[in-house]
Parts: sequence; structure tokens; C-alpha cells
Amino acid sequence: MSNTSENPKPSSSSAKMTLKTSDNELFEVEEAVAMKFCTVKQYFEDEKDSDVAARGSTTVIPLPNVHSAVLATLISYGKKLPQSNAVADNHEEEETKKKERKKYEQGLLKNLMPGELLDLISAANYLDFKEGLEFFNQALADHIQNKSVEYVRKFFGIKNDYEPHEEEKYREEYAWAFEGVDED
Amino acid sequence: MEACMDFMNWLDLDMSEKLLMHLKDPSDLARVSSVSRSLRDFVIANGLFKQLCLRMFPQLSKVAHVMELNNCGVKEPVEVGSSHSMEWESLARDHRVYATLARVCTSFSLRDCISEAISASSTDNYPAETIDNTLLPAGIVSRRAYWSSKGQSNPAVPETLTYKLVSEFCVITEIYIRPFKAYFQRGSPIYSAKSVRFRMGHPKSPNDLGSHLLCDSLPSADDTFIWTYTSPEFPMAQESCLQKFRLPEPVLCIGGILQIELLGRVQTQEMDGLFYICISHVHVVGRCLSPAFVVENIQPSGTFVLKKDMRYKFHTQQSSPDNEAQEISDDQLQRRFRYLRNYLRNLNVIEIEEYEGEEEDVVEIEEYESGEEEYESGEEEDVEIEEYESGEEEDEA
Repeated sequence: MSNTSENPKPSSSSAKMTLKTSDNELFEVEEAVAMKFCTVKQYFEDEKDSDVAARGSTTVIPLPNVHSAVLATLISYGKKLPQSNAVADNHEEEETKKKERKKYEQGLLKNLMPGELLDLISAANYLDFKEGLEFFNQALADHIQNKSVEYVRKFFGIKNDYEPHEEEKYREEYAWAFEGVDED
Repeated sequence: MEACMDFMNWLDLDMSEKLLMHLKDPSDLARVSSVSRSLRDFVIANGLFKQLCLRMFPQLSKVAHVMELNNCGVKEPVEVGSSHSMEWESLARDHRVYATLARVCTSFSLRDCISEAISASSTDNYPAETIDNTLLPAGIVSRRAYWSSKGQSNPAVPETLTYKLVSEFCVITEIYIRPFKAYFQRGSPIYSAKSVRFRMGHPKSPNDLGSHLLCDSLPSADDTFIWTYTSPEFPMAQESCLQKFRLPEPVLCIGGILQIELLGRVQTQEMDGLFYICISHVHVVGRCLSPAFVVENIQPSGTFVLKKDMRYKFHTQQSSPDNEAQEISDDQLQRRFRYLRNYLRNLNVIEIEEYEGEEEDVVEIEEYESGEEEYESGEEEDVEIEEYESGEEEDEA
């Protein structure tokens, strides 16, 4: 696993932060990645202001709403994003990186249970991790694409509160939407 | 596969809106709305179908308001009630209209969308080399089946070809153009252009069009039309094959006017040393959304009223209003047939002169039917050109 292309600038790459999850696990993360979690960024900046920053990179930031497994995936995804402080690559390098990222993303999604997507989205929302939110929301939308109404109900645990005739009427009006749906 | 969190919590957290906005297929959003009444109300309250349509077609930002025409073809009466219920009724109407619009914009058959030619910026040897020639069936290749601009000594002088579409509300996906090869001239020069760009819009005043059909040129097309969409520039190949220009995204043409802007001349005529552009065929592919949807009151600012006609039944298997399409294309075909008949009659009078050229000089009339989905497979030797911003990509010839 080669990190060399991701952290070219010595000063910012060595700064690390520690994040503590709901199940009390500690994650050491490069500042550049952690700053993508705007909630963390906000916390960090608040800390700086309050002069407690003398403790420097040993600050531990608590994330009581995020489980370790989820955070691990989000950090992994965050690492693969283009770093804002990276040296500008030439066109070829950029294309290679893009392809690598695509491959990583596909692999990541393949190994995820659909239910885990909900946790990831929830955590990304809490952390205010915009890129993660965008990515996992799209993944979940892709997952429910062309799925039946029953599937969606079961998946999200939504109770059907339609009156039977109401639902019938709706389905008739939008009959075009119910063709060619995937088998459950 | 079980949810780890109650979806209703999501609604509070506003995450579900973000999720639902990632659905691109209107069928998915319509099905989600039938999952539960609460979810349907959520979709209506947040105008998610309208947002979906706006993402697909930013041109819809100009909709002033929507209307539904009931089974008598009249505007549905609005029930008088509390301001809250009226607001809800308005949101519900938006939901119905935009859901159907999203559906038709992605499912109606692709077809030829040009109704007739309006004008060219200039025409040489009018009326022999009129813009109307560009609408003759693609298979016709002959001495007279092309439009020619007037000659210019400056190759930078552009030309425009303006057409009226089959309806004021169409989704346009791609445009085909074939430059003309003058096989009867020495060297068989091809009078293509360097690049091409497309504009769509509406007439400033609806009355303007009538008197200008098929005339030499309008005093100034810019005075007559307001353009609400301009495409990127596409390079043109210096070949006399049918070239396909696919718009980066399908575009809603509101107002039914499409203009082709031919930029940069490349070919001079040996006889006079002037630069000309000549086009033998033009074809615009898209989906006609009328009579299911009608636009009205197009203002100079571009805002308009969108009307959904409920008399039109949006059945599942029906992908286009068959009867209406028949009517429209019959009309078109009749006009073109009359033009073609006169054209061929004139041909008989002209002597077939000796020329140095290939076999294609013979008038061939290929089978040509508007409304067919032939476009996927392309015609003859298609050349697909990717769009470019000047200086960047190469063209793929």
C-alpha cells in the first residue's frame, strides 16, 4: 500500500488527530482527512480558540454517534478523495487516480450490505462529511432503483398507511411507473 | 436487509430528501410515493418531482405556473378553501404535472422534429438553392438538392439556418447535418463549415413567422426571435456524410424555433474565389411533447405557462400519441411531397450535363419516414462528433 502520492507536503501530513467512536475505539487520522468531516473541523477549531490547543495533536475528539466499523469505512473513503493540499498532478496522473478511485469505490460498494448504507449515511450526516454523504446517498438511491414498492417498505421499515382504495387509485394514475420492476 | 433505523427518523433529519433527490428515474420516485401516504405527502410537500424535472431540464425554471386541462379541455376549477389547502392543492397539482412531464420527456418516441424551414441568413441563386432543400429526404443527392450561402471573401462570416419545429414544446436530443459536396465542380469540393452551434427559442411575436416562410432571408433573425438556449460549439468534419451532433444533455425547446449557426467557412469556389457554405440535409431528432403538454403565454423574458392536457391518456404501453403523430407527420409529408414533386418536375426540364463525378449523382430517393426510430443505428456513413470548447479536444472523424 503506497501512501507516497497522497501526502506530499511534510508539515500537514504529520499532523494527526484522534477520533473516539461510540464503542470507545480510537482512530488516528491525518488532519487533511479529518478536516473533511466538518463537525470534527468545527470541534478542532473551537478547541484551538480556547487555548487548549497547547496539547496539539493529542486532542481526542469524541464521536458518540458513530460506531467504529462505520467510521473506519468513512475514513477509508475520505483518504481516497483528492486531497486539497496535494501538488497538482499532470493530466495522466489525474486520470490514473480517477480510475483507481472508481475501482476502489466499486469494490467498497460490492462489500457493503445495503443496510450498512443507512448507517454510513447517518454517520456522514452527523459528521457533516459532504463528499461521503453525496457518495453513499447515490449508492443507496442506486440500490433502490427499480425495486418494488414492497421491497422499499421492508428495507426502510416503513408502514403502509394508505387506505386500500387510495393506493389502488394512485397505482392506476401512475401505472407507467410499475412496469418492468425487479423481482423481489 | 433490515433497516437499522426507523425511516421516520430520517424524515425529521431531512436526510430522506437528500436521498430521494438522487433518484434519476421518474418511475422510481413515483413508486416511492406509493410506499406510504406519509412518503407521498413528503414528496409532494418538498416538490421532489418538480426538482427532478428542473435537474433534467433547467429550461423549466421559466415556468410561471402550471395548469391542468380537464376532460373538457378547460382549466380545472380550483376549489375555494383555506389558504393552506389551496397551497397544498397547488403543490399536489405540481406533483401530478411534473411527474407526468418527467415521464413523457423520457419515454415518448424519438422522431424527426422539424416542421418547416423558416429562413437562411443568406441564399445564393434563390430559389434554386433555398434552405428548403435541406429538408428533402436524406437519400436525395443531386445537383440541386442543397442550400448554399452567398459567397464571402472573409471566411469568418457565419451563416444561420432557422427552422420551425413540430411543436412549441419538444425535447431535442441530437441534430444531423450533411454538408454538400459539389461533385460537378473540379475536385468535388465539400462546402462544410469549421464548426456548428445550435440555438433554441421562440418568436418575439407570434405573427412574425407567417409572412417570412420560405423567403430569401429575414431582415435579421435576431430581431425576430429570442434565444433561450445556446449549445456548445461542435467541430464539423470536412466530409459530405451525415454528421451527428449529440447535445450534451437533452434540451427542452420552448417556443418551437431551432437555429443552426455555421461558424467559419473553409471552402472557396474556384470560379469566384469566394468562401461558401452549402448544406444538403438537416435533421433534428427529439420527442414532441404536444398535445399532452402545451406551452402558452411565452413572455419576452422567457417565462411561460405549462398546461397538461388530461384528455390525453398516459397509458403504460403508449410511448407516443400515435394519432396525433400521424396527423403532424402527414401534414409535413404532404408539404414536402408537393415540394418534391415540383422539384422533380423541374429536373426533367434540365439537361443532364457531363460532369466528372461519382455514381451518386443520380437522384436516389431512399425510403424516408418521419417518426421512425432509425436514429439509433445511424444513417449512411455517420460521423459522430464530440463537442469541444475551442482549443481542447480533437474531433473524432
